[in-house]
Amino acid sequence: MSDVPFKNPGWAGNTGEFDLTEEQVRGDDFVGERPAHGGHASGAATMPFMLPDRDPEAPLFEGEYQERFEKILTRYPDKGAALLPTLGLVQELRGHVSPESMDRAAALLGLAPADVRGVATFYTMYNKRPVGRHLVQVCTNISCNLCGAEDVLAAFLRYTDTELGETSEDGNFTVIEAECLAACGFPTCVQINSRYYENVTPVDVAKIVEHLKGQSGADQ
Amino acid sequence: MAYPYVSDREVRILSKYFGDPKQRHVDTYVERGGYKALEKALGMGPDDVVDVVKSSGLRGRGGAGFPTGVKWSFMPKEQRKPHYLLCNADESEPGTFKDRELMRWDPHQLIEGCLIGAHAIRAQHVYIYCRGEFFEANQVLARAVEDAYGKGYIGENIFDSGHTIDVTVHQGAGAYICGEETGMMNSLEGKRGEPRIKPPFPAAVGAFGKPSTINNVETLCAIPHIVANGGEWYRQYGTEKSPGTKLFCVSGHVNKPGNYELPLGFPLIELIEDVCGGMRDGNALKAVIPGGSSVPLINAEEARACSLDYEGCLEVGTMLGCASVIVMDETADIVKQVRRMVDFYAHESCGQCTPCREGTTWTAQILRRIENGKGTEDDLDTLMEMTQNMVGTTICVLSDSVAAPVQSSIEKFRDEYLALIRRGERMGVA
Repeated sequence: MSDVPFKNPGWAGNTGEFDLTEEQVRGDDFVGERPAHGGHASGAATMPFMLPDRDPEAPLFEGEYQERFEKILTRYPDKGAALLPTLGLVQELRGHVSPESMDRAAALLGLAPADVRGVATFYTMYNKRPVGRHLVQVCTNISCNLCGAEDVLAAFLRYTDTELGETSEDGNFTVIEAECLAACGFPTCVQINSRYYENVTPVDVAKIVEHLKGQSGADQ
Repeated sequence: MAYPYVSDREVRILSKYFGDPKQRHVDTYVERGGYKALEKALGMGPDDVVDVVKSSGLRGRGGAGFPTGVKWSFMPKEQRKPHYLLCNADESEPGTFKDRELMRWDPHQLIEGCLIGAHAIRAQHVYIYCRGEFFEANQVLARAVEDAYGKGYIGENIFDSGHTIDVTVHQGAGAYICGEETGMMNSLEGKRGEPRIKPPFPAAVGAFGKPSTINNVETLCAIPHIVANGGEWYRQYGTEKSPGTKLFCVSGHVNKPGNYELPLGFPLIELIEDVCGGMRDGNALKAVIPGGSSVPLINAEEARACSLDYEGCLEVGTMLGCASVIVMDETADIVKQVRRMVDFYAHESCGQCTPCREGTTWTAQILRRIENGKGTEDDLDTLMEMTQNMVGTTICVLSDSVAAPVQSSIEKFRDEYLALIRRGERMGVA
């Protein structure tokens, strides 16, 4: 299969366990393991946000990440279309998308730097400034709100000792309000880095925060 | 390990394997009859596939309810340029949570639907534009695509039919407006997700400037079942004008919120009281939003008369939308919830059109003033007039979506607004 550029065997199937229980899916474990080398180009940025390597001087992509970037390019009829997945990769590596990274992505893809700035600022998922190791996004839109999302948000702010949108002093947490996360039947939904926590009540918050304190962002 | 809640009133076709992680394996999917419909479809001409879907009467499940077969027939019959099929998996309408479940529990069903759709519109490449926040669904789907490539269901010469179809999962980056079809095409091209003026319509000039069709996840998931069993089979469910089954996403103040697959035309009140186990704490029903935040609210009396199909919802002055039923009991604070929805639209407006960019922000500010007990009765007239100017004056319908909850809530729950304005009293807590 590998002679066809679109086919990239070796996705998480080599490493991931797929027979999951309900509890695992909704509970503590994410689906499968997430290899840093990515596998299928479609899987871009499905990895943990923040890997230990956050050296701002390093080239935009190296090694496995360069390979993933090249795989992404094979999926689109023009280079510019790879911009969103490329910025996703940048964020996965560095935790946020800095103006410098935007310019370097523009150079890689042959785009005008202003275009890339325009795109990066349009989408909410690109962090334009560094965030805590755990980015906590509490849905407060209507369905969650009806079921007490604001209390959950307040509990997160209390237990992480931060202000809304600010990063805690130990660099562990940034808590923000999120728009609907499409888990309305399981309120309140909280997204922490790439994972959803569903049916969260204020009582659960202390446990979640305690659990996260022992983890780096990459464990998420 | 039953899916969070199931009901014996359901007709589970698309959601049959919700809660069963084995279904994600390509081998299990094939054992259970998967990819048979693809083989059948590839043995038929593209126009014959379109005819089957037309005969089923399937209507788009993304909100507008446009007949899918008719949409497909707009695509050029001769292929001069590449065609693209886009699967709209950018589910972000508040209240909606069906597509995520369809993708994470049964990814191959969607892939099979995409492949059949691609064949019907003569496309060689399918992009599944999956919402960025859905890391899990993205991963499950990308893994399933990989497995299907490995088994030869995607790629070159599928089932020795000579057809080549590729599938790419494209992860979005967090923008509600990318769920609008032309916004999605811009986003896929690596641009800001700003909707485009129509015409030209996507079937003429779509993604990458080529003829394209955009279908919702749930629409495409229904396709394999329709192709396998025929259009008449699908018509046994639902009503004459709204055939088939639909996933209803119920959230809010009910005992058992969740996804329920029911035939269209199901009575709303039975959905709440029977299927969803009634209202939370036995409270009284106050209001329902039957189709996601972009449709008008209805009060309890209208809800009792409402049947859940495209026509039945229009009869009580609302819309089925994507069937996201948000239920509010007597403790709900309507003004606050409407303000929260408008805040959402103000956040998500792309800013291209003045009525939307300015209108969403000012509507939110006036509502906030009323909520804080500082509003005046004139504010209600201002809101009605202002939102009226936001209908039909913009490129896409995001700003129309603001008018629906604001106007309907002022008409039906004027008491709540007046209580805040005159006495600073809230008529709800949630």
